[in-house]
Amino acid sequence: MRKAMMTLVALMLMLVPATALAQTSDGTVTVVHGVPGLTVDVYVNDVLTLEDFEYGTVTDPLTLPAADYDIDIRVADSDPSSDPALTELVTLPAGANATIEANLDGDGSPKITVWVNDISSIDAGNGRVTVRHTAAAPLVDILANDGALFSGVANGAEGVADVPAGDYNVKVTAAGDAAAVVTEVPALTIPEGTNVIVYAIGDLAGDSFQLAVQSIGGLHTPPAGVPSGTGGELTTGLPAWLLASLAVAGAAFTFGGVQVSRQRG
Amino acid sequence: MRSAIAAFAVGFLLLGISLGFWALSKPSAEAGDSAAVEQALITPATEPISRTTTTTTISSVPNSTQPEQTDSQPTVPQFTIGLHPEGHNRVPVTLRIPAIGVEAPVKPAGVEADGEMEVPGNVTEVGWYKYGSAPGESGSAVLAAHVDLAGSGPGVFFDLRLVEPGDIILVDLDDDTTLTYRAEARTVYDKDDLPTEAIFSRQGPPILTLVTCGGGFNRSLRSYDSNVVVYAVPLDDAPPVSLKDRL
Repeated sequence: MRKAMMTLVALMLMLVPATALAQTSDGTVTVVHGVPGLTVDVYVNDVLTLEDFEYGTVTDPLTLPAADYDIDIRVADSDPSSDPALTELVTLPAGANATIEANLDGDGSPKITVWVNDISSIDAGNGRVTVRHTAAAPLVDILANDGALFSGVANGAEGVADVPAGDYNVKVTAAGDAAAVVTEVPALTIPEGTNVIVYAIGDLAGDSFQLAVQSIGGLHTPPAGVPSGTGGELTTGLPAWLLASLAVAGAAFTFGGVQVSRQRG
Repeated sequence: MRSAIAAFAVGFLLLGISLGFWALSKPSAEAGDSAAVEQALITPATEPISRTTTTTTISSVPNSTQPEQTDSQPTVPQFTIGLHPEGHNRVPVTLRIPAIGVEAPVKPAGVEADGEMEVPGNVTEVGWYKYGSAPGESGSAVLAAHVDLAGSGPGVFFDLRLVEPGDIILVDLDDDTTLTYRAEARTVYDKDDLPTEAIFSRQGPPILTLVTCGGGFNRSLRSYDSNVVVYAVPLDDAPPVSLKDRL
């Protein structure tokens, strides 16, 4: 018996960590190219991992073991041993969802920015919109359906908001001037349970300004309940035949009781 | 004295027979193995959700200490840009449950401001949780309707509590196809214990889940204290055993 118990416990111990580890020892990385006019090769730990990576492109997510990674970016087809144009040591923590972006700073110089994406769960019926200003451009406002969503966003800053799922008209305008539309997306779909991340990239003065979009799904949560009855028509009462039968039984008891009390009286 | 004894005997006999007969005839709230269905729905899927395009096209990063070899050259990744398609290929339009005489239009339903599922205000309509799975997709497709509504009387799911395992359930889709399900289990959950993670799961076996209210009714709150849930599986699936085998 004891042996059987031990086996059971051992089996349970084997099962639990296996599933827990699968979820926590990896991180997720996406790469975004936001430096205009430059096609690049991306090296991760000295291995060519993205070749001929073009401006405005967003990769699909890649699951990697949590670790430190050397990211080197070279102009496409450069000698792998040449000095990289951009380099960054990125630490990927377990369970993190990160985006590594090559982009312009406010002055138009290329740099690498590492973003941590919000993958916390989203209330049922909502989606999440994240806006990241990574362009050589002044402060901007972001309008959704002509209402202010984020105001005064500077290069290097982001705004995150959970909104009801649906299609939104999104405008990027000069800060404080709703009429100075920089760019407009007529219908940006924010799916339920999904974080839609919009990157403003390029150089506003150099005519290369544009948007790049990444989306992370599966952040949904179930509705809290299903309210589906207010009438009270569903009687849990007793059927009529049972009530009649009980009444007869009651009458019999009463009759018997009366007889007994008479006898004693 | 004899008549008193006779009266008591008749009384006890009637009481016993009535209650016994009632207990036997009373429909049971539960039927089938609901727990197995719930478990199957919340067990992590080994395959991706069918309607999500998933792609891990970038080769994994080799360890930096590994010697470089020509045959281990990472494959060139393919890029995709933009949103993952979230839409459903086809959506339910009609629900039919011959066993309880139900034939009702199905309308897409979302979420109320308080976070609960939207259930059609018209008691003759059934709501389909549009953010979850559609019938025919992986996971639980949820159809909910009123058992009754104050002022409107009984609703389309008034008799859902009478659906028995084995009953046929048909869902007509907007592409003129029909999916046939077989009721697998019926159960009643206290509203506080409704297993929403399983009922609204978007992964796992393709289950059809019908939900309405039931249990005790609180007249002051005008609300039932429980939910009646029927789980159904595609008819072409083998008997109940097959569901457990997937656990």
